[in-house]
Amino acid sequence: MSTTAWLTTLQFAGVNALFALAIYASLWTGVLSLAPIFFGAVSAFTFGYLAGVTGLSPVLCLIIGVALGAGLGAVTAGLLVRLESHYLAMATIAMVLIGRVVILNLPEYTGGATGTLVPGDLGTWAWLIGTLVVAGYVMSRLAGSRFGLAADAVREDPAVAQTLAISPRRIQFVGFMLSGALGGAAGVFQASFLQYIGPDTFYTHLGFVSLAAVVLGGAFYWLGPIVGAVVFTILPELLREPMGEYDRVVTGVLLVLIIIYMPRGLVDVRRLRLLKARWWRSRASSPSDDGPEPTDVAGPARAEAAS
Amino acid sequence: MTQLLPDRDTVEPGTELAVDIVGLTKAFGGLRAVDDVTIRVPRGRIHGILGPNGAGKTTVLNMVSGFIQADAGRIEVFGADVTRMQPFRIARQGVGRTYQNIRLFPGLTVLETVVAGAYMQRSSTIAGAILFSPGERRERREMRERATELLDKVGVRAGSSALAETLSYGDQRRVEIARALATNPRVLLLDEPTAGMNDAESEEVGRLLLDLRDLGLTLILIEHNMRLVEEFCESVSVMNSGALLAEGAPTWCLEQDDVKEAYFGKRSDAARIATLRRARRGESGT
Repeated sequence: MSTTAWLTTLQFAGVNALFALAIYASLWTGVLSLAPIFFGAVSAFTFGYLAGVTGLSPVLCLIIGVALGAGLGAVTAGLLVRLESHYLAMATIAMVLIGRVVILNLPEYTGGATGTLVPGDLGTWAWLIGTLVVAGYVMSRLAGSRFGLAADAVREDPAVAQTLAISPRRIQFVGFMLSGALGGAAGVFQASFLQYIGPDTFYTHLGFVSLAAVVLGGAFYWLGPIVGAVVFTILPELLREPMGEYDRVVTGVLLVLIIIYMPRGLVDVRRLRLLKARWWRSRASSPSDDGPEPTDVAGPARAEAAS
Repeated sequence: MTQLLPDRDTVEPGTELAVDIVGLTKAFGGLRAVDDVTIRVPRGRIHGILGPNGAGKTTVLNMVSGFIQADAGRIEVFGADVTRMQPFRIARQGVGRTYQNIRLFPGLTVLETVVAGAYMQRSSTIAGAILFSPGERRERREMRERATELLDKVGVRAGSSALAETLSYGDQRRVEIARALATNPRVLLLDEPTAGMNDAESEEVGRLLLDLRDLGLTLILIEHNMRLVEEFCESVSVMNSGALLAEGAPTWCLEQDDVKEAYFGKRSDAARIATLRRARRGESGT
């Protein structure tokens, strides 16, 4: 693969990582939602319109896109969070489908079936990596926060979370806003890199690819979606040369293997913690160890240092 | 209403009621899982709910914590009507609980599990977390310290960085109690807190109950360990087939013939119990 092709692939991996993080944000609160694709579409076409027609600066458009996504996330949550899990997921898929119809039927704003051109000023590595770093930082700060632990609780057992005085709907509302903001940013970057967006740019395919990145990368820790997106955007490209047309078969088999043997994804903090516990236990029980119980002394201290 | 029993006046007039359950009824299809149950627990008491499997004990607890909506009756917690409240609002009224089948959060460490319980004790915002604010960091530290104290108090021996789900059965139950305590409850509902524990461990839980009571908590527990009930519960309600069978001091209740029969299943004579219940109801009506 040529260097340019590599760079393009990596850029799309980065954008996919943002979409995957957006899906992760609501999945964190126990909601499976493809709505970020819709949020991305809205922010991308708004970006195209504002930059093209009113000549607004792309940076301002990015900020508007993020805000718009968060706002749409809030509205979506307000309307949909009352639905039960499967129906909620289906409603968000419906949003993606409806989005395409809306794009097709608003040609004066979106270019309709022919699509629209957008400026590529933000389609640079600095912007993409910068945004990913900011997004990763925000997610990592939230992970151990009041919201983060409440989100974990709601995802794992909403009923128990309620008896801890946590309102699942409120947490899911925040999750949707976060998801909207990330989806909005992803939409603007997708548009910036492509420099052309049409009704099929933000459609189910993108949604499922991003979702696959979350599930395979790890849906229980913020690093998972990023790793998943990078691995599963690059992998098919890597396999294309040696495998030829069979690359998809190999990718598919690999995905199935990961689902079977690593059901919580590539980045799995729980497994790491289990392995760590086993390691401490084996050290504690080994005869060469003279300390009575190193587990209890060093274990918590180490965790505190890490958190 | 419910049956009047000789030892009925376990609640002295004038004492503040922590939990006041009156005429609680719940039917699942044709089955009356809970049938006109009245349980009044004054503040600072350790009250047991006894009864054979399927008596409706857990259903009562589930209605108090709001998981199940009652068909009829009323539940008050410190004077506030919680009968139709959502579970998280009931929790904010100061009701904490544990579960018969342990329900810890998979993937969370012991410490994280307990800190998750302190949700309402925290005031930090998302912005504070993102902006690395000193207040938020202080709060995290304080929460960790408080969780460590709670874990110490309930007697969890495993390291707090261990995954909660990997602990021994007894420790998992204790972590659940610590998580419930982290919500700073006024009333703690414990569903079989000593299930799967040996005598020494059960005794420890019993002493923990006394400590918590002395701190001002009101405790309602479902328990099958009769020794523990007699030793630590100040009053009990005995249920069978959804209805209240007896109520009063544990020793007195356990001596009642129909309680013995229903509870220990010497002879399952549902008809006799039904007759008894009907007779009692007539008695209380006069």
